[in-house]
Formats: sequence, C-alpha cells, structure tokens
Amino acid sequence: MSVTWQKRTHGVQRHKETFDRALARVFLGGVIVVTLLGSLYLAFVATNTRLSGQVWQMEEGIAEWRRQNEALTVEIARLSSIPVLQQRSIALGYAPAANVHYLVLPEP
Amino acid sequence: MLRDPESRLRLIALLLIALLLLIVGQLVRLQLFEHPRYVVEAKQMLERQYSLPAAPMGKVLDRNGALLVGNLPVFEVDAYLERDDETATVIPELAVVLNRPELELQAALTFQESYTGTHLWAPLARDVTSDTVKQVRAMDLPWVTITPTWKRYYAEGALASHVLGFVNVEGYGYGVQAYQWRLLYTPPELSAGVISGQNKPLPEEVARRSNTPAPGVTLRLTLDRTIQAYIEGELDKALLEYKAEAGTIIVMNPQTGEILAMVSRPAYEPTRYADYALTNQVGLFVDPAISKTYEPGSVFKLIPAAAALDSGLVDTNWTYEDTGVLEYGGVVVRNSDRSAHGVQNLEGLLARSLNVGAATLTTRVLGAERFYKFVTAFGFGQLTHIELANEAQGLVHMPEDWDWQDGFLATNSFGQGIAVTPLQMATAVAAIANDGVMMRPHIVAERISPDGNSVKIEQTPLGQPISAEAAQTLTELMARGIETRMKQATVPGYRIAGKSGTAQIPVSGGYDPNHVIASFVGFGPLPDPQVLILVKLDRPAIDPQLRWGSQTAAPLFQRIAARLFVLLHIPPAE
Repeated sequence: MSVTWQKRTHGVQRHKETFDRALARVFLGGVIVVTLLGSLYLAFVATNTRLSGQVWQMEEGIAEWRRQNEALTVEIARLSSIPVLQQRSIALGYAPAANVHYLVLPEP
Repeated sequence: MLRDPESRLRLIALLLIALLLLIVGQLVRLQLFEHPRYVVEAKQMLERQYSLPAAPMGKVLDRNGALLVGNLPVFEVDAYLERDDETATVIPELAVVLNRPELELQAALTFQESYTGTHLWAPLARDVTSDTVKQVRAMDLPWVTITPTWKRYYAEGALASHVLGFVNVEGYGYGVQAYQWRLLYTPPELSAGVISGQNKPLPEEVARRSNTPAPGVTLRLTLDRTIQAYIEGELDKALLEYKAEAGTIIVMNPQTGEILAMVSRPAYEPTRYADYALTNQVGLFVDPAISKTYEPGSVFKLIPAAAALDSGLVDTNWTYEDTGVLEYGGVVVRNSDRSAHGVQNLEGLLARSLNVGAATLTTRVLGAERFYKFVTAFGFGQLTHIELANEAQGLVHMPEDWDWQDGFLATNSFGQGIAVTPLQMATAVAAIANDGVMMRPHIVAERISPDGNSVKIEQTPLGQPISAEAAQTLTELMARGIETRMKQATVPGYRIAGKSGTAQIPVSGGYDPNHVIASFVGFGPLPDPQVLILVKLDRPAIDPQLRWGSQTAAPLFQRIAARLFVLLHIPPAE
C-alpha cells in the first residue's frame, strides 16, 4: 500500500479500518461457527458410523450365536433321541422290558 | 472509470455477490425444486434390493418339550463368475471339498458358447455344513458366494412322520407342519438400501433396520414321544405277526381330545421326501389315520346303539328275536356267523356283534331320519378340523341324497356302505367315553412365539351327541361285552370298554372276498377313562378263521392299553 494512496484516502481511513475490523470479526466468527458446526457434524457422522459398525457386528454376532444355539439344540435332541438312548441303554447292559406291571405298594 | 479503488472494490463485491447468488440459486434449485428427482436418482445409483438372512423355522416339540423337528444350520454355496475369472485350477480341489464330480463342477462353471452374458451364476452345493464352508472360505475364491440357511432336522428320525409331515420348497406338504406352515415359516424378507459389493447391507443400513429375522412360532404338540415310539413298535410287530399290509393306531384322551400318539404304516422318512417324490412314492405321504377312509364294520354298531339309548327307544331290558336274517330295502342282512341267536338284548347284540340286531335297531327302532341325525351328530361325514393337512371327511349317504338306497339304513347299522376315517371313529367313540360330550381332536397343545409368549390351545367340545346317561349305559354294555366274550382285550386290574370290528373292503362291483380290515376301539380305565385306543389292521393275511378284529386287533389293543396305563401312571383299581 503506497504512501500516496494513504494520503489520498486519509479522510476515510479510520472509519474504513473500523468497518474492516468489524467485518473481519464477523467473518472470523462465521468461520469459527462454521468450523464448529462442521466439526460437530463430522463428529456426529463418525460416531454414527462407528455405532453402526458396532450394531452391524452385534447383528452378525446374534445371527452366529443363534445358528450355534440351533446347532447345539439339534445336537442335544439327537443325543437324547429314543434310538440313541436305547442304544446307549443296551450298551450299558439294560434290556427292553417285555412285561410291565403297575405295582401299588402298601402305605408304610 | 475503474481507476478508483473503491469502485473496483465495489465491482468485485458485486461480482462476488452475483456469484454467491448464483450458487445460492443453484442450491435452492437442487435442494428444493429438484430434490425429489435427485433423491430418486441417488437411490437408483446407490441402493439395491437385498434379502435379509433366512429366519429359522419354528420348532415342533412333543408334549414334554422334547424336540421333534428343529433346524440344522447349513449353507448354500454358489458361484457368480465373470468371464475372465480363473476356475480351471481350483475345480479339482473344490470338487473334493464340495463332494461333487469334477466334470460336473467343470460344466457348471463353464460359459456355454450360446451364452452371451458377462456373468454366470451357478449353484454349487446345498445343505453344506460349517466345516465344509470353512474349507471353501480357506480357498479364498472371490467368485464363490456363501449364504447361511437352514435345513429341517427330525430328531427322532421317522417317528410320527405322518403327524409331523413336511413342506416342500413350493410350500405344499403334509402333517402338522403343512397345516401350521404360516406360523412355522417366516418367508425371506426383502429390503432396499445401500449395499456393499457383496450385495449385503452396509452397517448404516443395518443400524437403521434390524438385520436379524424373527424365527417362526414353535409348536408344542399333544404327542408323547415315548408313547408314540412304543405304539409304533407295537404296530410294526403286529403287522409282521398278522402279515397285515397296513395299520393305524390312535391313542387319545377322550376327556380332552388330545392325541397322545398316532401312527400309520406304511410311513416314510420326512427328510427324504424328495427321494420318494422322484420314485413315484408320493402315496406314502397320505396319512391313513386322517386322509384315507374305510368301512368301519362292527365297531360302528355303537352308533345305532347309542342313538337308540339316547332316544329312549330302548333300554338294557329291550330285546328282539334274532332269526339270523333280516331283509330291508332289497338287502339281506345276516350275522357274521350265519346263525340265528334267538332272543337277544342290547348287551348280547354288542357282545356277539350281531348284524341283524344292529339292522333291527336302525330299521325297526330308529328309522332313517333319527339314525342319520345321530350319525351326523357323532361327526361322520364331516372334518374333525384336527391341525393336520389333507384331512378327509368320509362319506355318509343321507336319505335326501340322489344316490340314496333304502338298503343303506340296514347296512350302515353295522358299518357297511359308510366311509369314515380312523380319527372320526376314534372321536365318536371318545364321546361315549366322555359322558356323551365329543371333544375336538387336536394335536397342537401350545403355540410359543419367538419372544416367549405362549398361547395354550383350548379344549373345544364339538357337541354332545348323546346324554351322559346313555353314554354311561352304553359304556357299561361295552365293558360287559368284552368281559364276557373277549377276555383277550381286558387288562387285569383295569376295567375297559371296547368293541371290535371286522370289515369287508369295498372293491369295484362289490366286496373283496379275500381281505378284511380288523379293528378294535376301546377306552379305560372305567369309570374315569383317560385313554382311548383305536387299532386298525388292514388285510391281515393269516388264516381267515383267525383274522377277526377280536383275534388280531383286540390282543394288540390289550398290550398297548396295559403298557399305557403304566406309562401314564394310572394305578390299577382292583
């Protein structure tokens, strides 16, 4: 900025500087607000994405646990099924009962 | 003109403002006026329809909670190939892992010359176990897709196969599963959203909408698997002993209508239903207990006896002269032993199973209108609405029918010319056991939703065809009948009421001269019957003099009743 220009504008210089400072403050304030809002938005989006990922993992986990649970239920049912129990009983030395009677024992 | 710096500044400011207005204007246009169009375009570009994972189907449990039908977690392995994908080097290993012939796999993974598309989809394996899937994943083939799914698992193998049934991929089937399929099965859900390259929803999509599908409703049946296994074993032994072609046993609680066990032979393995279909054996799927009708024979004499007692037209002192022959409506009715039995009362009629006596009741005591009113009240010719698919309603000729013949009134009295299902017969006799109140037979005891809420199925009376007094009188007559003339059906320590039957089998142009259906239906212990058992043996191929219901079905009934009283913790009264 030349000295000649400063002299020529000397009359309005002070007023202009005051205006510029105010404008700069407003601009700066705006930048700060926009930055804050942007940061908040980014933080929100980041949190949302992270939580979504966690939910997704949990959903995957639930599905996998459910499948394992069903597999175990089926395995328990297989092991306690009548043919398997019969085989195990016979292997342990038990024999199928041919003649079963209901015994009523007298009161002691 | 623009040498003045302020003017230049103003100009620049104006230009900037104009630019800003332009941008704002564009933003307004894009965000407000053209927003819907861009939303649609964005969705088209980013979102695709994807299917949520398959939900497990509802389980089927027995009355004590033992698993009868469950779900085995399996996988579907498919290929989604591009033309430049390398497959040749991995086919030998993949064939071993998936247990498929190498040539077959090669053919499946080859672009045919006539095919012009850029991608090829081919199913590689179904019902794949997790161990095999681990091996496939280890091969790291980008063109292989693995989809988790479920396979129906029958914990007790072929036990109760007719009752449990199955449902094929088209949604058609048999048994309780087909009847309750809408509750058991949650169809794969489709959703639209932003998806990944593997056609799966992105985490944001999952967060917005749960990806975990709700499983089907679990059914707790009235069946007891121990009783079921026992009667299946007994029926198999009886079929061998009496060389019978087929057979049915129904065990029900006459007071509640609960089916405790129900078996028919021949049966099938539900897991192999597709194999039966391929070999034209679909006839095996039909449950004779509910879907096939038969002429019940002498067991049906209970119905005219009940009708006559309830109407007050006869009592235990009523008698008739049994001449051994009765002619009515052009039909000549004879007793099975071709003999005349002289003066007989109601007890003698039932104990000796006299056709002439039964026909006397319907033709000379009751009349057609009254008799068929009771036949209808006992549920014959109508569905019982048990929760099993493909129930038959039977066939009852009514006097108002176009094909009615007067002779039906005589023949129907002893169970000829009328078609019933074993379940209808059991339900009707259960009404006699339950003081005249007929309960709806049911197989589902409880429905349990995935969130644990359960709905117990109410025991529903179908009606009261006869009074309690008539039912009790008839029960007493039935009990005396087997105590005096059919000891082989009695169980020491327990009082039982029952009736046997030996029915001819209708064939084209008459009745099969060589075969019969032997049956017995009984209940006990009196006076508070908790079990009703119907036994039916089709075409026992033993000595014709030894194949009567009283000689085949009755002893089988006795064996089953004796064991059931113990299994059900019913102590002897004597």
